[in-house]
Amino acid sequence: MDNNDISKLLRLKRYEQPPAEYFENFLAEFQLRQRVEVIHRPFFQIAWDRLCRFLTPPSMPRLAMAGSFAVAVIATGSVLTWSDSETEGLSPTLTQQAPAPSSPSKSSPAVQYVLPAEVVTYASARRSF
Amino acid sequence: METLDPPDNQLVERTQAGDARAFDELVVRFSPRLYGLIYNMTASHEDTNDLLQEVFAKAYRSIRGFQGKSSFYTWMHTIAVNMTINFLKKRNRRKTMSLDDVDNGILNDPDFIAATSNGDPSHSANLGELQIKLNESMLKLSNEHRAVVTMFDIQGMPHAEIAKILKISEGTVRSRLFYAHKQLQNHLQEFIKK
Repeated sequence: MDNNDISKLLRLKRYEQPPAEYFENFLAEFQLRQRVEVIHRPFFQIAWDRLCRFLTPPSMPRLAMAGSFAVAVIATGSVLTWSDSETEGLSPTLTQQAPAPSSPSKSSPAVQYVLPAEVVTYASARRSF
Repeated sequence: METLDPPDNQLVERTQAGDARAFDELVVRFSPRLYGLIYNMTASHEDTNDLLQEVFAKAYRSIRGFQGKSSFYTWMHTIAVNMTINFLKKRNRRKTMSLDDVDNGILNDPDFIAATSNGDPSHSANLGELQIKLNESMLKLSNEHRAVVTMFDIQGMPHAEIAKILKISEGTVRSRLFYAHKQLQNHLQEFIKK
């Protein structure tokens, strides 16, 4: 028995096929399984599929679509977080610069320093007249 | 006037656009061939039926990702081979094949006629036994070797196509075939000696 005999014997195996009716029923069984699968799928998955179908070109892989969506979500999240931190970062500076309306101005060291300087200036200004 | 069947890529485009009937046509077109592929790897009609259903379900779910870089035929075969190999890795039990389901077309095959034409009934009986022995020998091959033998010898696919489906080089396909044929020859030689 040589290689050629083995090939011939193996070629005969292509006749090991089910009867023709099998393939006629196969499609019906496939459609039924598909319907059952759709019924048992969670709502968000069906909604996601429809969204993909609506938004993407036909040849765009679902993974790419999911990736783009994830990038968009991360980008939006980053922008929102950044703008929040910007606002938070500005507030303490403004608070430090602006004098608090309720705080007594005489107790503040800055005011104590500024007041004599202004008096001195004013006195020297009078002297100059 | 005879109507021509639409080409595979047209049916794929229609499916991608949401036409489920186009996919039904692809199922009808590919199921006999994929059945043969899976059956000769699993050796079980029951498992083949379940796997074939899963293969088409997976293909339908991922068809939007098919970009036409390879033919749809290659793409489908890749899904079928990968799913079958994964299935076989999980399945420990090994079933024997039955030749009861051999199609009547075998009677018209030139190889079969040549093998049985000497008029000796014992010769054709031996051929039947040899086929059974061949099936048993096939099951002794590794999943990867069986896949190559199934695609090349049984389905008549060229080396290049098999290489694309299995994502291996043509050289590897040839060496796997050589090794698998040698193994089958050894198993059958023992049977003939008896």
